[in-house]
Amino acid sequence: MKETTDIGLWNLLLAFVGMAIPLFVFYYFKLKVIKDMLVGMIRMVVQLFLVAVYLEWIFKLNSAWINSLWVLIMIFVGAGTVLQRVKLNWKTFLLPFALAGFVSMLIIDSFFIGIVLQPDYFFDARYFIPITGMVLGNSLNHNIVGLTAYFGGLQQKKELYYFLLTNSGSKRQALLPFVSDALLKGLNPLIATMSVMGLISLPGMMTGQILGGASPAIAIKYQIMIMLAIFVGCTLTLILSILFSGKQLFDEYGNLKPEIIRN
Amino acid sequence: MININQITLSFQDKTILDNFSAQIRRGEHVCFSGSSGRGKSSLLKIIQAYLIPAKGEISIDGLTLNRLQVKNIRNKMAYVPQNIHLPVKNGTELLEMLAKSQLSEKAEIFCEKLGLPREMLSRSFDEMSGGQKQRIVIAVCLSLEREILLLDEPTASLDDEAIDALIECIKGLENTTVVSASHNSKWLNAAGRVISI
Repeated sequence: MKETTDIGLWNLLLAFVGMAIPLFVFYYFKLKVIKDMLVGMIRMVVQLFLVAVYLEWIFKLNSAWINSLWVLIMIFVGAGTVLQRVKLNWKTFLLPFALAGFVSMLIIDSFFIGIVLQPDYFFDARYFIPITGMVLGNSLNHNIVGLTAYFGGLQQKKELYYFLLTNSGSKRQALLPFVSDALLKGLNPLIATMSVMGLISLPGMMTGQILGGASPAIAIKYQIMIMLAIFVGCTLTLILSILFSGKQLFDEYGNLKPEIIRN
Repeated sequence: MININQITLSFQDKTILDNFSAQIRRGEHVCFSGSSGRGKSSLLKIIQAYLIPAKGEISIDGLTLNRLQVKNIRNKMAYVPQNIHLPVKNGTELLEMLAKSQLSEKAEIFCEKLGLPREMLSRSFDEMSGGQKQRIVIAVCLSLEREILLLDEPTASLDDEAIDALIECIKGLENTTVVSASHNSKWLNAAGRVISI
C-alpha cells in the first residue's frame, strides 16, 4: 500500500473556502447560527491541533496512567458538553453524567478492547484512545438528543407523569413513556446510520484506515466492531445518565423537584 | 379511613391551609368545597404526597404517609386530575401506559355508564370534546377499582346530563372512598359530606 498523501497547509486552508456555502445559506435565510458556526469551527481547529500535539506525546509515552487520565478528561468534557446543551445545572448533574460515561466506557473498553480486539497491551494508545474517543463522541451526540427528550418531556408533560404515578402506583411505570421516548429519539438516528452504512455513507473509521494504508478487508472488520461498540456505548451512556440522575431529579416521594423541573 | 391531621401548607409566604384537619371514613363520599385558591386541589395533592405540608400528617388505614409508605398508599388510589388534556392518543393508550390493558372491557363498561358508547375508549382524543375526554379519563380511573378515588373538579367540562350520569356511577361504587374537590352545586348536593375550606 502507498503511504498516505499529506495535505499541504495551503491546501487545507483552501478547504475552508467550502464553508462559504453554508455561510451564504445561513445569511440568506437570516439564521442566527453564523456566530455559533464560526466559534465551533475555530474551536475544532484549535482543539484538533492541540490534540495532535497531545497525541504525539501520549503515543510516544504510551503509559496506562496517562492514557486513562486522557480518557477521564474526555469523559468529563463530554458530560459538561451534554449539560451545556441540555441546559441543566452543572453542580447537580455533572457527577451523575460523568459517572454514566465512566461506567459505560469501563464496560465498552473491557469488552471490545479486552475481549474482542485483544491487543498485546490493553492501554495501547493506538487502540485505547481512538476507540474510546469514537464511542464517547458518538454517545455525546445521541445522549444530548435523548436527554433533551427525557428532561423536556418530564417538564412539558408533568401532568401525565403524576397521573401515571398515582394510577399505576409505580414510579418505573410512570417513567416508562419518558424513558422510551428518550431511547427512541436518541438511538433511532444511529439505527438509521447503521442500516445505510456502506451504501450511502462510508464510515469515518473505515475511511481513515483505508487512507492510512490498511486493506479494506481489515478496515470493514474494525468498522463493524466500532459500530457495535458505538451502539452499545450510546445505549449504556443514555440509560445510565437517566438512572444516575434520578436522585437529582426526584425527591424521596418520586415527585419532580421543582428547582430542576420548572413550570 | 383517611386521617388529615393539622395540615399547614404555604406557597411563597402565603398560607393556603392552616392547621386543617378532617377524617374521612371508608366508603364515604366527601367533597372539599370553597372558592378558587383555597386549597381544594392542594388537599388532593397532599393526600397523594405530591405536595408535602410544612406541618401535620396524613394517615390512610393506619399507615402514615411518608417516604416508606408512599408507594403502598398510592397503590390504594386512583386519581382524576383537573387537567384532563393528557398527551395521549386515547383511553386505550392510557390503559397501556398504566400496564392495565386487561381492564379495557371494564373501562368500556364505565364509559357506557357515563353516557358514552363503548368504542369511545379507543377513539382519538383529538376528535373529542372536553366533556367526552373527561369521562374517558374518569372511566379509565374507575376501571382500576382502587379503594380510594380522588377526583379534582370532575364536573368541570360536563353538562348536566353527564354530571347526573357521573353521580349515578359514583353512587353505584361499593366500598370505594370518594374524595373530590368541586364547587359545582349538583355535585355538592350528591356528596355524602361537604367540607368547606
